[in-house]
Amino acid sequence: MPRSIWNGTITFGLTVVPIKVHSAIEDHGVHFHQVHAKDGARIKQKRVCSKEGREVPYKEVAKGYEVRSGEYVMLSQDEINAGAGERSRLIEIEEFVRAPEIDPVFYEHGYYLGAGEDGQDAYRLLHDALARAERVGIGRWVFHNREYLVGIRALDDALAMHTMRFADELVPADKLDLPQPTRAPGQREIQMAGALVETLHDAFDPTAFTDSYRERVLQLIEAKSRGEEPDLPDQAEPTAGMDLEAALEASLGAKQGGS
Amino acid sequence: MARSLWTGSLSFGLVNVPVSLLSAVRDVDFHFHQIHEKDGAPIEVKRWCPEEDREVPYDEITHGYELDDGRLVIVSDLELAAIEPRRTRTIDIEQFVDLADVDPMYFDHPYFLVPASDDDGSVRAYRLLTEVMSQTDRAALGRFVMRAKEYLAIIRHRDGALTLTTMRFADEVRSTKDIDTATQKTHKPTKKQLDAAVAVIEELSCDWEPDKFKDEYRARLRRIVNRKRKGETIKAPPAAEQPSPSPDLMAALEQTLEELQKGGSGRWSKPRESQKTAG
Repeated sequence: MPRSIWNGTITFGLTVVPIKVHSAIEDHGVHFHQVHAKDGARIKQKRVCSKEGREVPYKEVAKGYEVRSGEYVMLSQDEINAGAGERSRLIEIEEFVRAPEIDPVFYEHGYYLGAGEDGQDAYRLLHDALARAERVGIGRWVFHNREYLVGIRALDDALAMHTMRFADELVPADKLDLPQPTRAPGQREIQMAGALVETLHDAFDPTAFTDSYRERVLQLIEAKSRGEEPDLPDQAEPTAGMDLEAALEASLGAKQGGS
Repeated sequence: MARSLWTGSLSFGLVNVPVSLLSAVRDVDFHFHQIHEKDGAPIEVKRWCPEEDREVPYDEITHGYELDDGRLVIVSDLELAAIEPRRTRTIDIEQFVDLADVDPMYFDHPYFLVPASDDDGSVRAYRLLTEVMSQTDRAALGRFVMRAKEYLAIIRHRDGALTLTTMRFADEVRSTKDIDTATQKTHKPTKKQLDAAVAVIEELSCDWEPDKFKDEYRARLRRIVNRKRKGETIKAPPAAEQPSPSPDLMAALEQTLEELQKGGSGRWSKPRESQKTAG
């Protein structure tokens, strides 16, 4: 099991729930280093002072906030950390909301909570009560010297926690300035598209989707590590532009004929 | 308006809609620059070749994958592009699902999909998809490739536009089996405890109004920068006291309910405050 990344306490009302936080996500992406193509040397990041033109060791580097072009207010790490506030080891649930009201765009990173020391009874109580009430607890969490909005909910047998985006981080849809068609889709088109949606409708099974590209990247790396030169296939792209109704009809025909 | 991160086509049966992908999240974070403390000059980070001991422009850089034995395997952009799935510039809608069936654990980054062409047919096809999804409350699943990575994405209607959220693959979401979730019978709450806890939750329940939550961290950093600019010194606030687990869950629940009902929507005395007065 991955070890916990944070230990602390959740409170709701006067009830205290000691918990441990674990990341629920593990990144399986293929990560590359930057390499100089000519000589195969691994690229280093070099910190250079823009005034002296020489390399600067990390201990001589401070953080600066640019208040005006070229004018910086310097802050020490302690001063930046002061921005986290004082609730260092406490997640106080401020309110409870219904999960379906939360649009998916608000969910950021996912975590699992485990019961902390002497906290099993309180953990189970919060879990079972959230499950029965079908609610998500909203609170604030200080992690790595920054404060996050979090949602805490029951997920199967466990408590899950999500960091949540703030509303002002999200671009409103009315800023998009979407083009409008000269005439709206007709009733027949909506019906046909609706029928096509239904033929493609199925229960969500996350295991049905695997990252096939990642597998191909790893195969490419393996082939190259043996000194093989890979075959590079050609690419074909679809063309856009069509008669909407004819395309819908043909799609429905293909689906129904095929099943 | 935001810059397009990807353009391609959204394909739904035989209907193809040219679309652009825009981030639905804007960067409002407080960014700090690295500064040379001695002379106040900004630090520049340079890509350096240790072999030749000189700075290297971006176009001379390629990718190296480190094997377990430490060897680097060089992979070029060209090779990565060549193994992309055949229809790399297309999001093929493979399936429709009920949004409620998709656990939020799978959601990653949100984007908007907008029509990439003013062509009337394409704009109508976009409008048609938006309308059908809003009427049926279904969301579409598809895959696409962006910046040398394949994504699973869920596409749905939101405020008159199509929203695309990239998703985690199932093998990236961990299992909870090794986490102590206190499922042993001895930890099961009594009916009375559970009823009281649900009553507390209901007392504290309200509608989800995301606008009322402000990023206090960002606001505090802004105040810190302003005070520092005026020459003040900043001290970190003392760490809050850690409340200890309630020895009597039922008493804590009953006291909470009592205070909530007495104080209406007001706050209860927080555990750490009551501890301070007790101590």
